[in-house]
Amino acid sequence: MKKRFNPIKDKSSEIIEYLMSSPDIPDDDELQFKLRLSIEEAVENVVSYAYDGGIGWLEADIHFDEDALLLSIELRDAGMPFNPLEKEDPDVNQSAEEREVGGLGIFLCKKMMDSIKYRYEDGNNVLTMTKKVNS
Amino acid sequence: MDIKITKEDNKTFVAIDGRIDTTTVNQFQEAANELMGDEHPDIDIDCTALSYTSSQGLRTFLMLQKSVMKHGGKLVLRNMNPQVKEVFDITGFSNIITII
Repeated sequence: MKKRFNPIKDKSSEIIEYLMSSPDIPDDDELQFKLRLSIEEAVENVVSYAYDGGIGWLEADIHFDEDALLLSIELRDAGMPFNPLEKEDPDVNQSAEEREVGGLGIFLCKKMMDSIKYRYEDGNNVLTMTKKVNS
Repeated sequence: MDIKITKEDNKTFVAIDGRIDTTTVNQFQEAANELMGDEHPDIDIDCTALSYTSSQGLRTFLMLQKSVMKHGGKLVLRNMNPQVKEVFDITGFSNIITII
């Protein structure tokens, strides 16, 4: 299922709940936790940074491949070209004094999902995350 | 989400019930701000009913930890559910915040 949200300012929660309402998401607490976290971090990234002042659109798509048992979530926006995967992972061995506040969102997506890919296509940022579902 | 703060002698007990996410993080940040002014704070956060935290919640936990260290205090998080604990583990936060 796919929906375009426009504008997206203050709409993070609505977009997250839309994706989490997909009937393709199995009734599995642990999986739902990981999906919700990844979706929230990825959506929040677009809503906060893609457009100046949050005036712009985001297309949210969730799809289940029954043969591969693969759940795919795709976020598309027409904001500033930005590849979040180029950001260096935080150093998780730093002390509290050294640790910088923030920069954990996409890192968590990488850890929670099986794959995360970025492409710039037709003037859009496209982020695709997949997770294998055991059913 | 519901946050209860109780002060007993020199100790502060906090209980968080619900999710810390994009809709509730400001409420959590405000509660944390209240705890950040004290000298030698001794803060005990009960996470039994904390069902979820996003990176925005982690950010506030880190700010609180930094503030507590600066003010010569103590911060303890207890009874975290396994999934929330995993988020703290993956990000290395388990090494910088005391979790029991």
